Amino acid sequence: MRIRLAAAVTALALSLTACGSGSSDSADSDKITGTITLQTWALTPKFTDYLNEVIAGFTAKYPGTGVKLLDQPGDGYSEKVLAQASSNTLPDVINLPPDFALPLAKQKLLVDVSKGDDLSKTYVQGGVDAYKFTGVDGVYGYPWYLNTDLDYWNVKQFSDCGLDANTPPATTQELFTQAAAMKAKCPDNFLMSRKPDVSDFVRAGIKITSDDGKQFVFNTDQAAALVDQYRDAYAKGYLPPSVLNSDYQGNSKLFTQGKVAWTTGGATGLADFERDNPSLKGQVTVSKALDTPPLYVQGVSVSAKSKYPATAKAFAQWITNADNQNKFGHLVNVFPSTISSASDSYFGSDDGTPAGKARALAFGELKDAKNLIPYEVNADMQKLLDQQIALAVKGDEPSRKALDDAVAKMNQMLSRQ
Amino acid sequence: MKTQRWFTPWVLTIPALAWLLVFSVWPSINTLRLSFTDARPLGGDYDVVGLRNYTDMLHDGDVRTALLNSVIYMAICLPLLTILPLLLAVLVEKKLPGIAFFRTAFYVPVIASAVVVGLMWTWLLDDRGLINNLARALHVVAQPVPFLTDRWLVLISAISLTVWKGLGYYMIVYLAALGNVRKDLHEAAAIDGAGRVRRFLTVTVPGVRGTMFLVSILVSVAALRVFSELYILTGGKGGPGGKDQSLVMLIQQYAGGFYGNFGYASALSVLLFVVTLVPMIVLARLNNRSER
Amino acid sequence: MKTLRYFLLAFVLIITVGPFVWQLSTSLKGAGEDIYTQTPSFIPHQPTLNNYAKVADAIPVWRYIGNSLVVAALTVGGNIVFATMAGYAIARLKFRGRSVVLGLFLSTLVLPGEVTIVSQYVTVRDFGLADTLLGVALPGMVAALNVLLMYNAFRALPQEIDEAAIVDGATVPQRLLRVSLPAVRGTLAVVAIFAFIQAWDDFLWPLIVLTSPEQYTLTVGLQYLSGTFTQDQRLIAAGTMIAFIPIAILFSALQRYFFKGVEEGGVKG
Repeated sequence: MRIRLAAAVTALALSLTACGSGSSDSADSDKITGTITLQTWALTPKFTDYLNEVIAGFTAKYPGTGVKLLDQPGDGYSEKVLAQASSNTLPDVINLPPDFALPLAKQKLLVDVSKGDDLSKTYVQGGVDAYKFTGVDGVYGYPWYLNTDLDYWNVKQFSDCGLDANTPPATTQELFTQAAAMKAKCPDNFLMSRKPDVSDFVRAGIKITSDDGKQFVFNTDQAAALVDQYRDAYAKGYLPPSVLNSDYQGNSKLFTQGKVAWTTGGATGLADFERDNPSLKGQVTVSKALDTPPLYVQGVSVSAKSKYPATAKAFAQWITNADNQNKFGHLVNVFPSTISSASDSYFGSDDGTPAGKARALAFGELKDAKNLIPYEVNADMQKLLDQQIALAVKGDEPSRKALDDAVAKMNQMLSRQ
Repeated sequence: MKTQRWFTPWVLTIPALAWLLVFSVWPSINTLRLSFTDARPLGGDYDVVGLRNYTDMLHDGDVRTALLNSVIYMAICLPLLTILPLLLAVLVEKKLPGIAFFRTAFYVPVIASAVVVGLMWTWLLDDRGLINNLARALHVVAQPVPFLTDRWLVLISAISLTVWKGLGYYMIVYLAALGNVRKDLHEAAAIDGAGRVRRFLTVTVPGVRGTMFLVSILVSVAALRVFSELYILTGGKGGPGGKDQSLVMLIQQYAGGFYGNFGYASALSVLLFVVTLVPMIVLARLNNRSER
Repeated sequence: MKTLRYFLLAFVLIITVGPFVWQLSTSLKGAGEDIYTQTPSFIPHQPTLNNYAKVADAIPVWRYIGNSLVVAALTVGGNIVFATMAGYAIARLKFRGRSVVLGLFLSTLVLPGEVTIVSQYVTVRDFGLADTLLGVALPGMVAALNVLLMYNAFRALPQEIDEAAIVDGATVPQRLLRVSLPAVRGTLAVVAIFAFIQAWDDFLWPLIVLTSPEQYTLTVGLQYLSGTFTQDQRLIAAGTMIAFIPIAILFSALQRYFFKGVEEGGVKG
C-alpha cells in the first residue's frame, strides 16, 4: 500500500511542477543591454573565430551586452530545437532554416521581425519571402546566407562513355537522352543518380497545392508521365538501384564513390568530393543546375520569450548585416542575403580555380533561383512521397496510383496542422 | 527463525523502484494519457479525442504492415539469438591462449557506431557489393540480388544484421551464467561417458535455463522494437513504399519532427506495449511449466 | 579438438571485426587516399596518425572524454549499487509483494520508452538538472534489465550458502556483501559493461539535456567533426576510434571476471 501512495505522491508532485514552468518576468524591453544566447547550427570549430569576431563587434558597439554562443552539432538539430521549444527554453537568437521556423512561428514562439522595419530594403526578396508563411502575418526571421545547387559531372566517365563533358545536360530531358547514350557505350555506368521529388514537379511547372493552400493537387497526368519516364529509365538501367533508398545527399555519396557520373551539390561541394576521394581531383566539371536552380535560405530568428528582446533583435540584425555576411561569404562558398552585397565583386569573380568557377556560377544562378520545395511540404511529407515514388520507379505500382496515394496521405497530414 | 526485519527487503528495493517509477512508469502513464488526445510534439493546446487514435490505427495500412514485419522479425530472431550466443559462449568459455582477444573481438559489433555498420553492410549487400560480386563471379546468380530494395530481402538482411549484433551482446550474458554452472556436474557426466553434445544438453542447458529465459525475453522485446537496423539499411525510408517500416519507425516518425502527431504516436506506443507483453507472458508461462 | 576450436573462433572473428578494421583503416588513411571507392582497401597506403592529431585540434577531446567518464561512472555506480540491492532482495529474501515487485521490473522492460524523451527532459529540468552531467546520467542510473540480471544471478546460487550464514548469525547486509556478492562477480561485470556502454554511446539524450558546448559528452562533441559545410570522413573515423578505445579497455579488463564467480566465491563446486 505504502508503495502505491508514494507513487501517487511523486506523480502528483511531478504533474504540478510540470505546469509551473515558463518565466514571465520581462525586463526593460526596449534597451539594448543584458546577456543573450545565440544558437548556431554546426558552425564550430571551423567558424569559431568568425563568430567570436561578430560577437566582439556587437558587444563593442553596445556596451553592457554579452552574447553566449551555443553552437549545436549537425545531427539531431531538429530534436534539440523541438525539445527547447516544447519546454520553453529556446535561446534568444536562433539559426533556423525556414521549415523549422514555420511551426515555431505558428506556435507564436518567434518574434515578427518585420514590425516597424522594411526588410526588403536590406535583404533580397527571396530571402525575406522564405520567412513569410501562409496563415501567419509577418516575417519570422532575418535571412542569413543563401545557397543553391550546381551540377557536378565525372569527366573521365563522360569521355570513356562517348559523352562530351563540355556540354553536359542542361535540362532534365537532356539528362535522359545522355543517360541513354552513356548506357549504350558503358553498360556498367550510370549517369542519373536520383529519383524525382517534389522539386522536379515544381521545375516541370506542375501545380503543387490548390490556390487556398489547403490541398495538394500534384497527382496529375503530367506528374505521372514524369515518374513514368524515370520508371522506364530505371528499368533500362540508367539509375543504380540504390537510388530507391537514397535521400537528398544520396547522390553526392554515389558520386564520391564513383558509382555515378552526376550529382547535385552546393557551391562548396567540390572540396568534399576531392577530399573523400582524391582520385576525383581534376576529374570533376561543374555546370549550372538543370532547368530552374533551387534557392536555399538560412536565417536567424528571435525567440518570443526572450528576456532582452531589443538586444536579441539588434544582434540578429547585426549578424545578418552586409558587412558581416560578406565576410562569412569570403570564408566559405555561401552567399549573402543582403542587397548591397551584390556590389562585392568577390562573389561573381571566377578566379580560374574550380572552386572559384563554382562560386561564380552559383552566384550567377541565384538571380533565377527559386524555392522549389513549397514550405507546406514538410520533411515527413517528403519522406512519404519519396516512398511512393520509389514504389512507382521500381515498377511495383502504376505512377498515377502511387501519386494518388501520396497526395491522399499528405492531405490528411496537412489537414491536421 | 527470524532472519530479517520486515522492512529490509523494502529498503533494498525502494531506490530502484523509485527510479523506475519516476523515469519509466510515470512517463509511460503520461503516454497512455496522451494517446487519447491530439497533442503535438511542439506542445501547445490539445484536445481529448477519445478513442479516435485507436480507431484510426485499425484502418492504417502502414500499422498493419509494420506489425507484420515486427512479428516476422521476432519469429526468426527468437530461436537464433537464444541459441547461437550460447554456443558462442561455450566456444569462448574455455581458457585458451589468446581467448581474451577473441572475447573482446566478438563484442565489437555491439559497440561499433551505427554509421560504420551501415556503411559496411551496404557495401556488402549493395547491387555491386561484395556478396553480389562474389555470387556473380561464381555464377551463382545472373542478376544481382536486390538485398536492399526488395521488400522481403530487406527484412531478411536486417534480421541478419540484428543477429550479427546480438551474438556478442547475449554471449556475455551467457558467459556470466556459465560461470555458475557447477563443474562437478560436468565431471560426473564425463565420467558417465557422456559426449560433448550430451553434456551440453544435460548439464549446460539446464544450468543456464534461467538465463535462457531472460535472453529469450530480451530478444523478443528487442525484435519487436527493431529500429536502427531497418533504418540504416533503407536510408531511413523504410524501403520502397515504406513496406519495411517497423512499429518503432512509425512511432519515431509521428513523435518526432515539428509536425508530428504525438497523440497518435502515443497510441502506437501503447499498441507496441501490448504486443510486447504477449511473448513475455507466453515465455513466462513456458518457463513456469518447465520449472515444475 | 583445439584446432577445430581455433578454426571456429577465427571464423566468427572474421564476421565480427569488420567494422573495427574498417574504422581503424579509414582513420589511418592519408589525405591522398580514396576512402569512398567501389572497392575499399583495408590497408592504408599512406598510413598516418595525423587524423588523430587533427581531431584533438578541432575539438576539446580530453574535456569531452572527461565529461563522458563522469556520466559513465555515475551510471555504472548507480546500476551496480541499486540493481544489486534490488536483485538480491527479490531473489534471496522472502517478503509479501515480492512477486508484484518482480513483475513490475519485468514489465518495465517492455514499457514504451519511444515517446517519453521530452517528458523525461521536463522531469530532469524540474529537478534543476538541465545542462548538467548529473542530469544526463540520472534516468539511466537504474535499468530494469540490470536488476533482472542481478536477480537471475542471485537466484542461481544454492540455498545452502544463506542457511549456513544465518546459523552464524549474519545480518542481511553481511550476507549480501560477504557471501553472495563475491559469487556473482561475473554478472556484476556484465552489469558494469552494459551500464558503461549505454552511458558512453548515448547521443540523443545528452544532446537534449546539455546546451553548453563545454558540458558535452564525447558522442555529442564528436558530431562537431561533421560540420555544416565540411565533413572529413577520416577525422570522423578517428573520432569513432577514440570513442571506441575506452570501451575495449574496459571490456578486456572485466572479461576475466566472468568466470571467477564460482571458484572464488567460497561455494563448493
